[in-house]
Amino acid sequence: METTTDTFSGQDTAQADLKIKIIGVGGAGTNAVDGLKLDDLSDIRLAAINTDAQALNQSPIAEKLVIGRSVTRGLGAGGEVEIGKAAAEADRNAIARIIGDMDLIILVVGLGGGTGSAAAAIVAEVAAKTDALVLAFATLPFSFEGARRKRIAEDSIGELRQLVHGLIPLPNDVLLQEGEEDTSVLNAFAVADHWIGRGVNSLCATLLKTGLINQDFSSVRSVFQDRGGKTIFGTGTATGGDYVKDALEDLFICPLLHLGDRPAQLDRILVNVICGADMGMAKINEVMTQVTKRFGSREDIVFGAVIDESRSQSLELCILAKAEMDSLVAPEPTKISKVSETITTGLGLETEISLDKKAPRPVHRSKLSKKEQAAIDQDEFNFIDADAQRGYFEKTDRNDYKDEDLDVPTFMRRGIKIKIK
Amino acid sequence: MSQSRVIAAIEIGTSKIVVLLGEIIGDSGLNIIGHSVGSSKGVKKGVITDLDKASDCVHAAILKAEENTQTRIDEVYLAQTGRHLIGNFNVGSSNVSSSDGVVRSADIDAATDDAKRRSLPRDRIYIHHIQNPFSLDGNPVENPLSKEGRQLQIGYWSVHGDSEAVSDSLRVIRGIDLDVSDMIISSIASGTVLLEESEKDNGALVIDIGGGTTDYMLYRKGYIVKTGVVPVGGDHITNDLSIGLRISRKNAEGFKLKDGRAYYQSEDREEKVWLIGDFTIGDRQYPLAAITKIIEARVFEIFDIIKEQLVDADLFEPQDMASGVVLTGGSSRLTGIEEAAHRRFGLEARASEGSQYVNEELRAPEYSTAIGLLHYALTGQEDNQEQVKSSGLMRKIAGLFN
Repeated sequence: METTTDTFSGQDTAQADLKIKIIGVGGAGTNAVDGLKLDDLSDIRLAAINTDAQALNQSPIAEKLVIGRSVTRGLGAGGEVEIGKAAAEADRNAIARIIGDMDLIILVVGLGGGTGSAAAAIVAEVAAKTDALVLAFATLPFSFEGARRKRIAEDSIGELRQLVHGLIPLPNDVLLQEGEEDTSVLNAFAVADHWIGRGVNSLCATLLKTGLINQDFSSVRSVFQDRGGKTIFGTGTATGGDYVKDALEDLFICPLLHLGDRPAQLDRILVNVICGADMGMAKINEVMTQVTKRFGSREDIVFGAVIDESRSQSLELCILAKAEMDSLVAPEPTKISKVSETITTGLGLETEISLDKKAPRPVHRSKLSKKEQAAIDQDEFNFIDADAQRGYFEKTDRNDYKDEDLDVPTFMRRGIKIKIK
Repeated sequence: MSQSRVIAAIEIGTSKIVVLLGEIIGDSGLNIIGHSVGSSKGVKKGVITDLDKASDCVHAAILKAEENTQTRIDEVYLAQTGRHLIGNFNVGSSNVSSSDGVVRSADIDAATDDAKRRSLPRDRIYIHHIQNPFSLDGNPVENPLSKEGRQLQIGYWSVHGDSEAVSDSLRVIRGIDLDVSDMIISSIASGTVLLEESEKDNGALVIDIGGGTTDYMLYRKGYIVKTGVVPVGGDHITNDLSIGLRISRKNAEGFKLKDGRAYYQSEDREEKVWLIGDFTIGDRQYPLAAITKIIEARVFEIFDIIKEQLVDADLFEPQDMASGVVLTGGSSRLTGIEEAAHRRFGLEARASEGSQYVNEELRAPEYSTAIGLLHYALTGQEDNQEQVKSSGLMRKIAGLFN
């Protein structure tokens, strides 16, 4: 709790000059960014990157980039990852221009298709060369969309995770649980967009708006210090009645916090609160106490609270937390894999130089280091599994049967909605 | 007394360890002299994932059984399960060699060897060869010896496992300085003792739903024609409930035992159940429909996978399964499991009442595998007519520990 009193200051420290850009990659990513209803956050820049020129034309987003015209003639990737990849590779320079010079970049992508799955990693890679903090919201396909899309998404998420500071996976199977009983599939896709909206809004509001408790950008940065690792995201909201209690409850039963695989320890936790002017410090303190109690405060919890005049009698909570990979299995995996990445993907001269600064590169790589690499790959593989809601079965062999992982709850794979209220 | 041997049947299960001690005195059969059940750790989906934890639990259960009976174990029979077990149907054949066209024992041996000849990749070992009927010139015969014909064929249902997984389980037993005499796959162990001979002849499907796996075996015309492991069990039901209801595993387990049912019915919509139920502060109500829908999806899927595997093997023929489905294993205690099996297989289904040769306490579905192991230990050495007979552990695992 000390941290809360420390960060508590009535001063206006909102950073109007903070440069934030949200980039939708691929069709689903662009749609999600299109649909973002950013409450009064006009400073945020929006951009979209896609292979499909026609789809992109219909988007109201101002800054648009068609990639891979030379590869696809602007006709899209047709679900082929290789085409998506070639398209993004061909337009690295243009991607770099879109990314520009930002403080915070939020990538929004739907994984499983051709463009998003392949281009997101390349966009992230380009963004990683700037000083920006890079976060990514990535939706994972429904089980019923088939094993192929699922596999593409899993491959992509493993790659993406290493390149961004925080990757927030949103499994559509899980999010379906949140819609109404008769949510159609089309609406179900919109559910994911809604969740992305809540996350993005909450994060940006805390950074840009004047609040009761201001979070400056550096404290957000401190939560997402390193690339890789696992990011946990959850929100809860309530209006009217006992809205403090209800919003806390809604947060605690947020399906994204109950994938069964929450790491034993969350290293750094960012809690954002958006409430009406009528909320008062006592209630905010109650929220902090409850959240701290629930998610443990062994490491820093960073709190932020913003007042939104239009939201009297209402409260929205959002947590973003980071957990490092199992340090027992692979000590400092991110560091080692970062080096290996620059080796494998180092196209530009800069990366070569920066690599030299870190450590002299041997002419021949020893067998030992290869072994180490293999161990890390294995770890990363496990990690992808964990993300696919394996939870309790995390450390066991995958339970594949006819292209399904039987360890994932059946009701989720079948899209059976469970009402728990 | 020197003729007496103490045999331990050990099942290293996902949720618990069962040790059953039997005493064989001379040739006069076997007496069950004691048992112990301990909680299991370090085992998931029937396979050891943490050798140290699993060893501690198994050793504790073994020592407790020895202490209870004041005996020392001489031999161990060990159950095997897990998704790594794979069965194949192999057919061996030989041409009748003698000039008079009468089958000699050499011809039988030749056909048998031919069937078992199929070699495995280095990381796999055979655990069982289960004999199926002979056929002589295409006609099934019980015993071909001295019968007339030209070509003799024999089928074997052969089960092999991952040598790493198998040797882990052997290591656990060796860790307490005991030797494993033989291994038996769980489905065969439980199946053999639960059915009457007539039921085996009529055909029956035995399904053993445990904590981490569901093992099944199909008897057809008196022979075991297929076994299988679906690496899904009660653990999965608990995990599904924990994720779906967003509650702890402990609470999910509580719901499963207290309110769980294997199928959903529309009345469940109206009913609410308490998470804890003793007026504890913070207790919550949940719709029963949420619980039963989650469980139904999982239980139906387990049965559907088994049915699918039988259909794929051209073995799902109701007229050859007249004795229906017999359910056992700890998770078969789930309310409504028979009804669920009946609906998915379209066959008569019943929960096993346990082996009638043992006392009341040991008839619980949790013991069926261990009792089957003891039965196997006894019959494996008693007569050679037995279909499932020991081929000796040493042959199975030759080279495993080099």
